[in-house]
Amino acid sequence: GDSWGIFAFLCAALCNLPALPALNCTEEPGAGRCIQQTYDLTRYLEHQLRTLAGTYLNYLGPPFNEPDFNPPRLARAERVPSATVDLDLWRGLTDNARLAANYRAYSRLLCYLRALDGTAGTAELRHRLGHFCSSLQGLVLSIAGVMSSLGYPLPAGPPVPPGTSVASNDFLKKMDDFWLLKELQTWLWRSAKDFNRLKKKVPPAVVTLRLEARGF
Amino acid sequence: DSHIQYERVGADVTMKCGSMDWDAAVTWTANGTDIDESHLNGSYLILKNVNLTQSGQYSCYEGSSWHLKYQTYLRVGTPPKEPLLMCRSNNYPKGFYCSWHLPTPTSIPNSFNISVIHGTKEMVCEKDVFLKNRCHIRYIQLFSTVKYKVTLTVTNALGKNSTSLTFDEFTIVKPDPPESVVAKPVPNNPRRLEVSWQNPSSWPDPESFPLKFFLRYRPLILDQWQHVELSDGTSHTITDAYAGKEYIIQVAAKDNDIGTWSDWSVAVHATPWTEEPKHLTTEAQITETTSASTSSFMPPPTTKICDKGAVVGSGAVAARWTAGLVLAAYGVLFI
Repeated sequence: GDSWGIFAFLCAALCNLPALPALNCTEEPGAGRCIQQTYDLTRYLEHQLRTLAGTYLNYLGPPFNEPDFNPPRLARAERVPSATVDLDLWRGLTDNARLAANYRAYSRLLCYLRALDGTAGTAELRHRLGHFCSSLQGLVLSIAGVMSSLGYPLPAGPPVPPGTSVASNDFLKKMDDFWLLKELQTWLWRSAKDFNRLKKKVPPAVVTLRLEARGF
Repeated sequence: DSHIQYERVGADVTMKCGSMDWDAAVTWTANGTDIDESHLNGSYLILKNVNLTQSGQYSCYEGSSWHLKYQTYLRVGTPPKEPLLMCRSNNYPKGFYCSWHLPTPTSIPNSFNISVIHGTKEMVCEKDVFLKNRCHIRYIQLFSTVKYKVTLTVTNALGKNSTSLTFDEFTIVKPDPPESVVAKPVPNNPRRLEVSWQNPSSWPDPESFPLKFFLRYRPLILDQWQHVELSDGTSHTITDAYAGKEYIIQVAAKDNDIGTWSDWSVAVHATPWTEEPKHLTTEAQITETTSASTSSFMPPPTTKICDKGAVVGSGAVAARWTAGLVLAAYGVLFI
């Protein structure tokens, strides 16, 4: 069922790919449409990430690609912004705070992902990472568009540049990569919920997906 | 002084008559029935290759005085096999529950111990009020990157066994099926059925965590289901039903973004609206018979179809006969 929506968005996204960075929500018919598009984009990215993460973790090798791998969180990994939040706190976020948290998170995640780009294994993998980064950049810009259409200021300051703290050994570097992908995945799950809430609050152009399939 | 003794199926059991000497004269009973001397070795009772039917109360009496010297309750059973454990969140984002059972019964009492670890923290799993093989966890944090590890250990007098599950918060989300599914025909629409349902009552926050739905329907006479996926709303109108055929309809739910589909809801049956057959009195009025107007139709006696010998004479008679034929035909159809 999900794949139809993803496919539909994929087509739209591919057709509009050159235009994606130029998404300007103030000209579009209202913030509602923008929120819907941002929501669709998080779903598309989450879908893409599943395959990308699988390939990248295989490149990292065991134990990172084992399904049960459940390492403790080391303090150094905290520099990657976490989606984890107290339930009541999350519920009580204002629209501005909610959007800002998303914007900050993806801006930083994008930076770290870009740093991965140059060192990753095969050319194929690097190409896929590059494509994902472009899409992720689209998401950051999309969120910015929603914020400006609602009259919120963009969070100040450039994201903290990565690479300032280099992992002391190969294994720790791989751990960092593992956590980066984990946080990215969790953020995409969270963003779907964030944008669901925003959809309800802002007068929407609600897109109802109705799919009919005979003889399943 | 009686106690309980647990033994494995297939084991050989030797029961001593308390502090009595080996060569003392005793009588053993099983559930009050005397046991044959062939099972005795001196004053010891030997049970070889025990089975479940041999569970019961065993008593040993001194030969002549018939004093009760020893009593034990024998319970034959098996050590536990690896238990089956499942965890599910049907009330996201409140928490999840875990439920377990043994694949085969052990025939003796078992105790269960469950532990839930999230990162470095051990979480409390609250026992379910009604079900003894279920417990509930409440989420403290949402959107966690750290997995949950649930370990269940089952122990009985003959052994222990355990199993573990490790999962992410999002993967175990599975709502309960939609409730109050209702399907009704739509008046004046022979190919439509209006279906409506409600969010499962266990889903705490459909506003922030909306559900999407999957509807399937088929006429009873066919095996092939038709499907519709709906990302919004709790109702749908089927517009391609076969006229006059009874349908079976079910709905399933899923969180919009995460987890898996619920089980199918209870099935409802409905038949699309069909046109009522027209009343005969209207036809009678249109063709202007002379018969008295009553609610039930009576063909005029001069126009029986079986009256083949009826003479077709004057035109008036012929006209009445034709009209009668038409009316009689209707009469035959509706009786």
